[in-house]
Amino acid sequence: MKKFLTIIKAFWQRALTYRFTVIAYRIGEMGEIVVLILMWTAIYGTQEVIKGFTLPEMITYILAGNLFHVMVRNFLSTVVAGDIKEGQLSMFLIKPMSYFSYILAREIGRISLATILSVISQFIVISFFLNAFIWNFDSVYLLVIFIMLVLAFVTELLLSYLVGLIAFWTDEVDGLYRTIERVEKFFSGGYFPLSILPAGFVTVSSLLPFAYSFFIPAQLYLKKIDLATGLKGILVQLAWIALLYGLVRVVWERGLRKYEGIGI
Amino acid sequence: MATIEVKNLSKSYEYYKKERGLLGSFKSFLFREKLYAEAVKEVSFSINEGELVGFLGPNGAGKTTTLKMLSGILYPTAGEVKVLGFTPSKREKAYQKQFALVMGQKNQLLRDLPAIETFVLNKEIYEMPDDEFKRNLDELVELFEIKDILDIQVRKLSLGQRMKCELVAALLHKPKVLFLDEPTIGLDVVAQKKIRDFIKKYNQEKKTAIILTSHYMEDIRELCRRVIIINLGKIIYDGNLEDLIRKYAPHKVLTVTFNEGGASREQIEKYGEIAEYNPYGCVIKTPRSEAKNTAVALLSSDLPVDDILIDEVEIDDVVRQIFNR
Repeated sequence: MKKFLTIIKAFWQRALTYRFTVIAYRIGEMGEIVVLILMWTAIYGTQEVIKGFTLPEMITYILAGNLFHVMVRNFLSTVVAGDIKEGQLSMFLIKPMSYFSYILAREIGRISLATILSVISQFIVISFFLNAFIWNFDSVYLLVIFIMLVLAFVTELLLSYLVGLIAFWTDEVDGLYRTIERVEKFFSGGYFPLSILPAGFVTVSSLLPFAYSFFIPAQLYLKKIDLATGLKGILVQLAWIALLYGLVRVVWERGLRKYEGIGI
Repeated sequence: MATIEVKNLSKSYEYYKKERGLLGSFKSFLFREKLYAEAVKEVSFSINEGELVGFLGPNGAGKTTTLKMLSGILYPTAGEVKVLGFTPSKREKAYQKQFALVMGQKNQLLRDLPAIETFVLNKEIYEMPDDEFKRNLDELVELFEIKDILDIQVRKLSLGQRMKCELVAALLHKPKVLFLDEPTIGLDVVAQKKIRDFIKKYNQEKKTAIILTSHYMEDIRELCRRVIIINLGKIIYDGNLEDLIRKYAPHKVLTVTFNEGGASREQIEKYGEIAEYNPYGCVIKTPRSEAKNTAVALLSSDLPVDDILIDEVEIDDVVRQIFNR
């Protein structure tokens, strides 16, 4: 455990060294959300309800969903792929600690500062739309959302790690990573609530892992889905975690046999 | 039992061939020809405790590939490796805590933080007790005289300073086996010497088995009694450095300096093969057994000899000669 804390601390320090970058990113994030809200406000015009969403509900969906999203995301793929491609992985393979544990601690250290700042900046945006934002203090709902987000964090982590490991065969994963990012954003409901599309989309996305980092917790927050559906979702998440974990192990073992540690 | 035991070790890499030019790139985008390159072919050797062995060979000879297999980074394609009784490719913690790999071209230090942060990180990763860590760190810091640079961001350090820190990071856990892959690459003469002196001292004090690769013959000459020469994946010499020189360098080199009016080429030619010449100094190659006599003859001749030095042929030349055969 002390190992983890030391690594997390070291990468906190690193992040603090590059405070400008960390803060610069947040400005773009906030801007994007404001643009989305402006767009929906224009679309609504004088209309009260679109596809079951009132304007305050839509604004809350965007704000709460993005808040959840920044809490569970990571940028592991490019880090892992870079280590493999540049041969830096070699320096970890010789150490008495598994690469996954190391990279996990490192990523937590690396993004936790950004995540905290993101959460703060999300709250800043929320504060601008206070009159439209719908509050939900139902503790049972919040607990289910919390569990869902923790699992979503683990799912996202395994998924990114898996995508990064593909670099053992292809050297670069940027193309795949970007594609998955877009598919994920769509199926997670990051562009718009999936429920404005035909019902089939919601069914499919609730079987995929992506919606649990945005659409489903946001819908739970708005109480547009009930607790039972939420709990069912948690089972789906657990199944995905088991599957991804198994895949990661297999891919890691096979990848290492292919690894060449180029550049050293 | 030997510390390092390698038997019939082989490694082949997969690679793709691409035809030249953009069209070639399009073709290989659709279809790629898979080829295999044998980087290491049936290599065998063994190294004992406390031995410091030089690994020589041109670029791409298979030196680094062999070191990578000894460290467990690469799986061997065939053959067997045992280090301290462990099979490296299993990557057991117990083995990993007992060896270190330092690569001149690859670093483990976190570039954006001061070196001390990496040291602390390694302390945790290698699970070292506080007092042991402190003792080892103090000792190494003093040896390398790096007290002043411990708190400076690694990327702001000079290459020499960084290399010292890399070595400290690798040695904190007191490895029993050490693989050094070109630890002096790119360093200036003074820094090279410092690193060299350190390696020598470390090897003698701790009885560490060390494999060293370097392109600087000075490193090899000063540090290694035994050398393994590898070319195109195969070992072509394994033995004493002195024997190697005696075997492959049947000549000695006489460096003669003249004063007054100097000497002409014709006057010197009869003493041996002239390797370099100008009127005030020349280098003559003579058979090993003749070296002394030639020197006497030169001194007793009527040439204006000021000084004579008798030297071994440079190892560079010896090695080049072997590779060119």
